[in-house]
This record gives sequence, structure tokens and C-alpha cells, in this order.
Amino acid sequence: MTDTLPGPTPVDVPAPGTATLPKRPLMELLDVSKTFSVRNGGRRATLSAVDGVSLKIWPGRTLGIVGESGCGKSTLARLITGLHPATSGEMVFEDKQILANRRRPREVVEQMQMVFQDPSSALNPRATIGESIAFPLEVRRRPREEIRARVSQVISDVGLPASYARHYPHQLSGGQRQRVNIARALALQPRLVVLDEAVSALDKSIQAQVLNLLTDLQSEYGLTYVFISHDLNVVEYISDDVAVMHLGQVAERGPARRLYDQPLHPYTRLLLSSIPSLDPALSTRDQPLDRSNGEIPSPIDPPSGCRFRTRCPFAMDVCAERTPPPVLAEPDHVVACHLYTADENGVVPRGVTESVARRVAEGSEVDAAAVPEEPLPDPAP
Amino acid sequence: MSQATVPVLLPEAFGAGTTDADRQAAAKLREEWNAHDQSVRAQSFWKETGKRFLRNRTGVAAAGIVLLLALAATFAPLLTPYDPLLGQPLDRLQNIGAPGHPLGTDEQGRDMLARVLYGGRLSLVAGFVPTVAAALIGTVIGVTAAMLRGVVQTVLMRFMDVLYAFPAILLAIAVGAALGPGLTNTIIAVTIVYIPPIARVAEAATRRVVVQEFIEAATLSGASRFRIARTQVVPNVLNDIIVYASGLVGVAMIIAASLSFLGLGSPPPAPEWGYMLNSLRGTLSTTPLVTIIPGFFIFLTSVAFNLASDALREAMDSRL
Repeated sequence: MTDTLPGPTPVDVPAPGTATLPKRPLMELLDVSKTFSVRNGGRRATLSAVDGVSLKIWPGRTLGIVGESGCGKSTLARLITGLHPATSGEMVFEDKQILANRRRPREVVEQMQMVFQDPSSALNPRATIGESIAFPLEVRRRPREEIRARVSQVISDVGLPASYARHYPHQLSGGQRQRVNIARALALQPRLVVLDEAVSALDKSIQAQVLNLLTDLQSEYGLTYVFISHDLNVVEYISDDVAVMHLGQVAERGPARRLYDQPLHPYTRLLLSSIPSLDPALSTRDQPLDRSNGEIPSPIDPPSGCRFRTRCPFAMDVCAERTPPPVLAEPDHVVACHLYTADENGVVPRGVTESVARRVAEGSEVDAAAVPEEPLPDPAP
Repeated sequence: MSQATVPVLLPEAFGAGTTDADRQAAAKLREEWNAHDQSVRAQSFWKETGKRFLRNRTGVAAAGIVLLLALAATFAPLLTPYDPLLGQPLDRLQNIGAPGHPLGTDEQGRDMLARVLYGGRLSLVAGFVPTVAAALIGTVIGVTAAMLRGVVQTVLMRFMDVLYAFPAILLAIAVGAALGPGLTNTIIAVTIVYIPPIARVAEAATRRVVVQEFIEAATLSGASRFRIARTQVVPNVLNDIIVYASGLVGVAMIIAASLSFLGLGSPPPAPEWGYMLNSLRGTLSTTPLVTIIPGFFIFLTSVAFNLASDALREAMDSRL
């Protein structure tokens, strides 16, 4: 592997036998963090929205990002596209470096577009559909003829009649508006499209149409997607790789199929168990896995060590003391949890992964002595 | 609203498909659709607003009065044979309906109809020009403040607050007195009075617009902040400002009239409505109806402006 990227951790090296993976990621995030300064009850406080996230975005694939509301998904989307500057950390797009708090090179900005969540606020209500789609092209000073051709091309690509270029957003339905949003994102022919809850505001039947459209466009244009959603089913449907976020940190990431079949992190297991099941025998409604009754800790004052420990049925003393480092539990499958003890290369022995994963799946306690009945007391300094 | 004319567009499988055959079928559907396209009218915001405004009878009547006054003032020389500045001392203080003087004459024997018509020019200018000027300047200040945020916003808006803290008429008198009498100075004074409230409206509207996702989309396309302000923000705050400013025209005329009543407006013998009201004060007991004519026109014009402004607000308000 000829990886010229600065400082790749051994954990992130794709294991042999994954021949389908391209040689190197389209974009890589290295320990990216974002804090906001907020006012909390009159006092100034720091909100840690995204904390030490490292991700790889592979060309031509879809990276799904799931997590509860407020876990920093949307902030991460804006960090990737550069709408928010990162507080610390570094990003690499192809061979171009993006440092925290620096202006992005124009070549990088041009390669990324975003599809927004709310179809009603994502389009300028005073501009026609055609004007909205043409705007990014006009900013780039493309010739008028080219703009016109490109606008009607992308409108028809997203399955709308070309005459819709003359219409205003309020004349369109939510699904049609979302198609227009996608068309606008495609107008500049970006390589990477970040979809922030792109189908969450749509009806189920329209969701299916738009998801199908997205997969069609991906193969047609060779696009790379970062698909952000709280809807686990949608993410499973569209993603090749999935990253699970909890309170600004990536708890687990790996190939979608394996992550959904065998979740390694207790939080992933909790999330997946929240998908309603049609089979009453499999229902987990009466045995919640969440120790804190779903109370999510505040990102203003997150728990020490592992941010999930206050909700984790497997919490141990070490969880409060140290942030779990990401370790390679299986090929391409990274988990940040103290349950998985790694060797010095950051690789978890195969046997350990299997036995721990089984225990996590069963919800049984790993070590009765290490899991107190009461919530963990704050670690004494 | 003609929402119903928008046809249901997409058949279930439109645009979807995983195989080439599916996609070809979808493409064919699309072509058929394009051929059958009923070419729905584009409903531009301003067109729709105009349509709704025309349906409001009060608004149309008020706008008609405004238009009539404007036309009458413009074509005053055609409507009256008299010179508004030249009086016939023998015909002093004629009452309403006097032969040759339908609205009577003032204390110097000048025809009131001529003075009201010519005076309308001054009053309409004093109402319109400062409002338009303040709307332009106030919009620039408000949009700039809300888009740049931080220190710029604080400094600009707090300065506006300081000006806004003065009662409008007091500020106008202060500025007018400092600059001296005259129509131009009246216009400047009223403009300064109007900039703060318009800037505040523009700032509030801009803050509402800039958090929307289409602004982020515009940012992602690499557009400069000025370009975003010009193409994305201003068109969306304009209706708020137009509605607010149109309600100010009537008040601007009253302020201008008040200034000239106090001797700070157009110097005599210019037929300014406010000044006419002042100079006719002494004749209140002899020809009271003639005395109140300028006041009546000030009232009529500003009410008409306000009613038209209300109708405009209603027409623009409905969320498209």
C-alpha cells in the first residue's frame, strides 16, 4: 500500500483481502474536532459538537453516518464541506491538505456539494428553479450557453420535466423540491456529495423514489456520498460503509452489512435494538438496554473518558478514566470501546472480538464485578 | 392561490430503476411527460402579489386616490388658471364655492385650489423622496449588520438605536433646525429620522433569512458574501422593507408639513400644505372651511398611503 497521506494510524490501513476498495480514500478526516462557544445559563461554556473524528471516505462509495439527534452529525457534514471551519484536526482531499481554521483551496471547494435537509428552506423562494440551479455555475463564470444546457441536463437527470426550470419552489411538492436540491448539487459536477438528512423530511414512498434516484445518479456520475441520517433503515439501504456517532465521537465504523449484522459497540447494539421489529418475539421494548432511560449527556459537559459510559450496561472503571482509542476489531471494522483489548498494533485478536461481540449481542454482563449496580460515580481525581 | 393548476407530476417509478431497461423506460416516460407538459405558468412572487392587491377594494381605492393626487399635482398648470404665488388682494378670504375660486382664497387673495394643487408637488416629494432614500440606506445598513455580525453589527445597530430613541418629530426638528429651512433640508431631516427604523426592519429580516439552508448552499457554491447579499438575501428581505416603508410615506408628509408649519420647511411663499395651514391660522374664525383645506389634504393623502400600504402588506403576507 503506497499511502502518502500524513500520519495514517495502523488501524486505518485497509486489511488485505479487500480488493474492492480503491487504493486511497477520496477524503480523509484526521482527528477533527469542532467546539462552539455557547452561553449556558448566562455563563460561557464550550460545546464539543465533534470530538476527534477520524474517517475515510472512499471514492464511488457511500459512507453512512448515523446517530441520535444532537450527536454532531450535521456539524460533521458542515465540517466536511467547509461550511464550518474545524477547531482542530486536519482533512485531506485527494492530495490536498485542509488545515483547521484555514481557507480551503478553491479546487477542493468545487469538488464538494451538499444536499440539505429541509426542502422548503433549501431553495431561494424568490428564484426560479432554473435560477437556483444556475447560481453556482454563474458564480464560476461559465458561459451562458453552457449554463443553460447544464441546467436542463441536471433537471432531467433528477427526473423532472425541463419546463420546471421556470417554476418557483412553492409550486413544487416536497419530493420535487428535494430533487431540485440534488440537481443543484450536481450542477457543478462535484466528486463528493454530502447528504444531510436528505430524505428525512419526505414521505416513505417519496423517500424510496429519492433513494433510488440517488443510487442511479451515483453510478451514472461516479459520485461519492456521505449520507447522514438518524434513520437506520435508510442508512442500511444506501450505505456501503457506516459510521456510528455518539456525542460527537465515532463509536464504531465498518462495512454496512457487517456492522448491522454484528454490531461491536454497545451503543451500536442499542441503536439497532431501537429499530421496531415486526416480530413481537424479537421486540426489545420491555428490556431497554439504556441504563439512563435515554437521557443523553450534554455535549457542553460530556462524561469523562468514554462518552457513552453513563448509558452503557458494560461500563467499567477504565471507561471513566480513558477515552477508548479506535481499534481494528475486524478487517475494516473499527470500534472505540474498552471491551475490545487490542494488541500493540491496535488490532484486536480475532477470538476476543468474537467473544465480546457475542456478549454485547446477548446484552449479558461481561464481568459482573466490573459493572456496579448503581451508575458509576464520578472518578475521584 | 392557483396551486391546484400544478399537475401531479411523477408517476411512481419515475426516474428510478436499477437496470438499463428500467432506466430506458423511465427516460421514455420522461420524454412523454415533456411532450405533454401543460406548461404551468410560473407564479412569480411579484405577479401574485399584484393580483392579490387588485382583489383588495380598499387598497385599490386608496392607491387610486394616491395616483389621482400625484397626477393632479403633476398636471397642476392644466387644472387651474391661477398662479399659486400671485394673489389678488381684492379677492381675499373668499369662502368655498366663491365664483372663480371653488376652494376659496387665502388671506392674500391667492386661489386655494391652485395652491393645494401646486403644494401637492412639494408634499408628495417630501413624502416620497425621504422614504425611498431612507429605504435604500437603511437596507444597506441593516443587511450589512446582520450579515457581518460581530462588532460591525453591534456598532451599526446600537447607533441606530440611539437615533431611534429620539421621538421622530423632535429629531426632525433638531436636524431641520441645524440645517436651516428649505425643502432639501426637510428631505434630509426626514431621511435621517427614517433610516434607523428601516435598518432595524432590514436587520431583523436578514437575520431570519441568513439561517436558511439556501444561504449555506450559496456559500458552498463559492459565492462571495456581497454576491450572496445581493442575489439571495436582498430579494428576500425586500418585501418586508417595502411594506414597512410604504406605511412611512404618509407620516413623512406629516413630518414635512409640521416642519414647514414651524417655519423649518420650504420658505414662504411656497405653497407647502403645512405652511399654508400655519399662515391661515388667523382666518379660522372668518373662513374656517378654507382654513382646514390644507389639513384635509394632508389627512387624505396620508390615510390613502396607509390604507394602500396595509393592502400591500396583506397581499405580500401570504406565504407562497
